[in-house]
Amino acid sequence: MSVLECNDLSIQFGGLKALDAVDLSVNEWEIVGLIGPNGAGKTTFFNCVMNVYNPTRGSVVYRGENITALPTHERVPRGFGRTFQNVGLVKSLTVMDNMLIAQHSKVRYGAMAGIGGMPGSFREETALRENALEILSFMGLVEHRDARVGSLPYGLQKLSEIAAVLGTDPEFLMLDEPTSGMSPEEAHEFGDLLLKLRTELNLTVLMIEHHVPLVVRVCDHVYVLNFGRLLAEGKPHEIQRHPEVVAAYLGEEE
Amino acid sequence: MATIEMTPVPAAAPDERSLLPLLDEGKPSARGWLARRIVQAGVIGAGLALIAVNPPVLQTDRVTKGLIFVIIGFSLHILLGYAGQISLGHQAFVGVGAFTSALLVSKGLTFWVAIFVSGATGALTALILGFVALRLKGLVLALVTFAYGQVAVNSIFAIPQLTGGGAGVDALRPAGFEGDKAWAYLVAGFLALIWLLDWRLVKSKAGRAIMTIRENEVAAASFGINVVGYKILAFVLSGAIAGIGGALFAHHTRQVAPNDFNFQLALVFVLMVVVGGLGSRPGVFVGSMFFGIFPLAVPSDFVHYGELIGALLLLLTLTMFPGGIGQQLKPFTDWIAGHPFHFSLKPQRESGISSGGAGVRP
Repeated sequence: MSVLECNDLSIQFGGLKALDAVDLSVNEWEIVGLIGPNGAGKTTFFNCVMNVYNPTRGSVVYRGENITALPTHERVPRGFGRTFQNVGLVKSLTVMDNMLIAQHSKVRYGAMAGIGGMPGSFREETALRENALEILSFMGLVEHRDARVGSLPYGLQKLSEIAAVLGTDPEFLMLDEPTSGMSPEEAHEFGDLLLKLRTELNLTVLMIEHHVPLVVRVCDHVYVLNFGRLLAEGKPHEIQRHPEVVAAYLGEEE
Repeated sequence: MATIEMTPVPAAAPDERSLLPLLDEGKPSARGWLARRIVQAGVIGAGLALIAVNPPVLQTDRVTKGLIFVIIGFSLHILLGYAGQISLGHQAFVGVGAFTSALLVSKGLTFWVAIFVSGATGALTALILGFVALRLKGLVLALVTFAYGQVAVNSIFAIPQLTGGGAGVDALRPAGFEGDKAWAYLVAGFLALIWLLDWRLVKSKAGRAIMTIRENEVAAASFGINVVGYKILAFVLSGAIAGIGGALFAHHTRQVAPNDFNFQLALVFVLMVVVGGLGSRPGVFVGSMFFGIFPLAVPSDFVHYGELIGALLLLLTLTMFPGGIGQQLKPFTDWIAGHPFHFSLKPQRESGISSGGAGVRP
């Protein structure tokens, strides 16, 4: 059964067709890669799927439910988790604070009960912290819990963001260049982590990624975007040899 | 990047070793905790004693005015410090609260109900501005809040039936609190309540949501935070506290007139919060106290120096000490909060306040 299905997804900014009729689907338990040269529209595609941008045409279907017009924040309780190219955390706050922010939609006490200091809110805050510690220890980040995110090395910031997204209890992860700023060895370790996350937390993943060895190793299926249109799709090793894809990355001979 | 450790996984088998003791790591010992509470109680006690003693410069009614400014400072701080939204029309929220309470009390309603109605009308005034702020940012928002304040002051406050025209409306203090000292303790009580609410706000989900929206709206939404709802909540909370502050303002002077709420007052509010230090309650307390008391405590010839001092302090804050007074108090406030005492004379470029920065720096 497909988890995510995008049909004819298009968006236009003025005269620019940033996305043109993109069809993409992600099946249960798959890791799907989305690659393409800079400016191909990959992040724009994520923004359309999350309804940060309102698509001009087309639909987004999640587990059989048409969610094209569903507000971004209402996707989180349905299992969406998203990371950003340049770390979507509050950098002036600590890793632990960000873990609490991430668990926002799981918090059962109301906003006013929290402000009013209801006893239940204190108890639940402790539970949130405990859950955050479990995730941080899983990610090997416990000793950084009181460090401000902005003061950490970039690679650790990226991992903290993944930890935060895990705090939302996701079923479907959308990762935007998770290994940018990592060395090849670190990217390899990240691949191990991703495969482990999928197995242990039963996740389905769609990720934008440039690091070819990682894509080849972990992805079940790859889509290639170029100038807002789908150029190719297929198994990673097929894509690697696809003439049009090679041309798009290296420039065409004419 | 550190090595990714793949060891303990509590997900499958519920872990018998709880991680909870980690939460207590770094917390002070029982004696350290007691020492901190004693110092805290001492500071609060000294403040309350100041009201009782009524010394020459810091007379009780001046301190009370300062306390009311602190309440208004906390109100503006929710927008400026936590939500990162500027308001140059805050005097309108305060004024609406002031006239609401004065009018209701003069019609025979009890103060204890009127002050909460003031909170509601203040919240309503801010709510309307909140919807405008959903679409605007930065300088344009600043100008719109300025215009909003001016329009409110020059239209609503100009209705003689509501505000008594130029003469103003009488605002009697509640029975039992007519005297300056009793009134001062009542205002201090309101401040204590609002201080506690503000503390719980930043320690619970609403405050975290509001601060995340300040940093990155898209990221906030993808953590499940309702950006529109929490932005509006920030305005409503700010307006409600401003309304209550306004009611206290009216009953403090026992009379309130439209002229009390000019644009200059809105500027003083912004000054006292920024100089006090975004993200620091003690900083905003000291800053608001200073700007509330200064014009009353100096001879009338020197009152206009207050603006000069305010401008100089603002320059100092923006250029050298972005954390304002709160940054200077940080070694002490951190200690009170349970951290070890750490003091350094070196000015910190990075303010280190956990929730600083509101896009007010040029």
